[in-house]
Amino acid sequence: MRKWADRDQKRWVWVAFAMPGIIWLTILFIVPFYAVLAIAGGKLNQIFESPIPVWNPLNWTAASFTAVFHDFVGQSAFVGPIFVRTLIYVAIASVLSLVIAYPAAYFVTRFAGRRKVFFLALLIAPFWISYMMRMLAWIDLLQTDGYVNRALVDVHLIGQPVDWLGGKSMTVILGLVYGYIPYLILVLYAGLDRIDQRLLEAGRDLGLNRIRTFVRITLPLSRQTILTGMLITVLPMVGDYFTNQMLSGSESTSMIGNVIDSQLNTASQQSQGAALSLLLLVFLLAPMLYYVFQTHRASKEAF
Amino acid sequence: MIGLTSHPREGWSDDGPRRSQTLSRRSFLAAAAATGLGAGLAACGKSGGAASSTSTTAALTTPVDLPRPDSPVTWPIYSSNKAIASGLEPEKNATLKIYNWVAYVNQKDLDAFGKKYKCKVELTTFNTMTEAIAKLRSGQFNFDVFVPTVDVLGQLVSAKIIRPLNHTYIPNISQAWPQYTSPFYDQSWQYTVPYTIYTTGIAWRKDHVDEDPDTMANAWAMPWQAKYKGKVAILDDYRESMALGLMKNGILDLNTSNTAQLQAATNSLLQLDKLVNLHIDNNDYSNVPSGQIWIHHAWSGDMAAAANYMPKGTPVDVVGYWFPSNGKGPVGNDTLTVLSGGNNPVLAHLFLNYMLDLPNALENVSYNGYMQPLNGITPQVLVSEGILPPSLTSTVVLPSYFDNGLRELELAPTVDAEWEQSWLRVSGGV
Repeated sequence: MRKWADRDQKRWVWVAFAMPGIIWLTILFIVPFYAVLAIAGGKLNQIFESPIPVWNPLNWTAASFTAVFHDFVGQSAFVGPIFVRTLIYVAIASVLSLVIAYPAAYFVTRFAGRRKVFFLALLIAPFWISYMMRMLAWIDLLQTDGYVNRALVDVHLIGQPVDWLGGKSMTVILGLVYGYIPYLILVLYAGLDRIDQRLLEAGRDLGLNRIRTFVRITLPLSRQTILTGMLITVLPMVGDYFTNQMLSGSESTSMIGNVIDSQLNTASQQSQGAALSLLLLVFLLAPMLYYVFQTHRASKEAF
Repeated sequence: MIGLTSHPREGWSDDGPRRSQTLSRRSFLAAAAATGLGAGLAACGKSGGAASSTSTTAALTTPVDLPRPDSPVTWPIYSSNKAIASGLEPEKNATLKIYNWVAYVNQKDLDAFGKKYKCKVELTTFNTMTEAIAKLRSGQFNFDVFVPTVDVLGQLVSAKIIRPLNHTYIPNISQAWPQYTSPFYDQSWQYTVPYTIYTTGIAWRKDHVDEDPDTMANAWAMPWQAKYKGKVAILDDYRESMALGLMKNGILDLNTSNTAQLQAATNSLLQLDKLVNLHIDNNDYSNVPSGQIWIHHAWSGDMAAAANYMPKGTPVDVVGYWFPSNGKGPVGNDTLTVLSGGNNPVLAHLFLNYMLDLPNALENVSYNGYMQPLNGITPQVLVSEGILPPSLTSTVVLPSYFDNGLRELELAPTVDAEWEQSWLRVSGGV
């Protein structure tokens, strides 16, 4: 392989293979991203109160960033608590997801045996139905006179039906877990499945019991996988607004995604929304860079 | 999203009570937007560019007149955007394209119009005025009829999105309340005919709430009661809910630019949130009948539909709707307009005329809940036609409200931004 690729005349073939991906990224990532920048640094149409994008970076203004700054600091600040709440929700939801997803993925890779395909199909099943439809189903289930309340009342776990959809943090967090856990399980499954069985056998042969085999071999080897999985779930969770809107709709559970969504739906605040989403992106760059750094180190160690 | 509508009057003709729905207009928009931030913003950028290329730059940077009841506005008629000539035949083999709010017109009316004028009628819907105007400005759609709120007329006229009317096609204007031949927002009805009219008040459950707003000194303060924690909701609409905060403080200027007044309204709403763990939603039409909410800041047209959403065994008269009897509360109305980008201006005029005819209007109200301001539509008629339960006649808008009512109208951009920012602080964006 290597020898063949090194030949100059064949190089363009491989470059051509990369082109669809590069074009895709250019059109669907870089261009919209620049549009966000142009709107954040742009002007306001005085009649429609809608943003006018400014494409030349030299003419960008910082007004929308200043406005966002005042949302965080000063007399009219209100975003701080919402941001902290977002981080808390996401932290709890991702830890919960991991606690549920890891054993599930572990079970499928190690113990499902011949039924592996069946379990894999089950894991993919949620993707057959759109996220919105699944959330709508939850609304039905969690309503005051819904099945969840009826079941809990019937078994006397609660006396009165609970208003699950009335702005409860727990509902939103569980909604996040429910929404993003399939991604996590799939990533963990893929990673755990790649661990060389012979390493585990070697561990057992050298006298480790099941638990210590797991702690000393499987867990360290799946660290990179866990990191990937967490990143894939945490990043969208931080920006999520839809779960909250469907399952709560109350100010008391509002997340940073809701603020951005609301700004983008209000013509005159679209540039502020653009600025806030850019700041969020910069914030999320930190875990992303950590991940890239870790992956780089791990791949170095492997060779 | 197919098959899901959230308008109060969805399925008014059904016999039984409907299952309560928990989706607001906003949720649908959210669902649409969920397909991608990038795409949404790219679209914004595009619409901005298209507008500046279709209109003069000067027109887009000078704020337009702000119509007020005490300073009515006569919109300019541009030489490049004139009314159609009189006496034209309706377009042949045409498809009349109507651009309206979700579930805001009775399909039966559309079918009957198509039959009468031998054309197809195609309905496209939108969820918010912002969304609708962005689409219209892009210039990529040839809709014929549009249903704007009065606060955006200045934008639509100055960008030549709507076409001046030729009155000879619309004799049924005589059926509308006389005010509508020269409303303050469009003197001499040059661009608009009335569509619906509604009030914003307080809906409450008489079987759970002891207070009667009719005997309260300030009924706008009715939601501010800790004993109804978890059972109080306000509308998810920055103008309506900020207005509630203002009226609670006795401020009746619902277009105020006074920062201290806006601050007082914001503080009251934040206090309300702490007091009752406030719900913010537009599901007044279903949440009050189902008993999920006991005191709901509500729209008259939504509560007129209450009977449709009552659970089995609960009589509709447990639902009350309060609006100040002197008319000093928020009154809003929507309009019908002809779009300049449409291919069928004659049919569009005929459609406006058709919807102003009493039988067609009653057919529409029976589905829609939101009444039309025609002389023939009175509380008595609505009750005798079986459209409205007698206990909810307070939802009917009277002609005097048009004159006395408080209006939420177009604000100067900087003032509007202040309103929106205040509301964002209250709602947290949900």
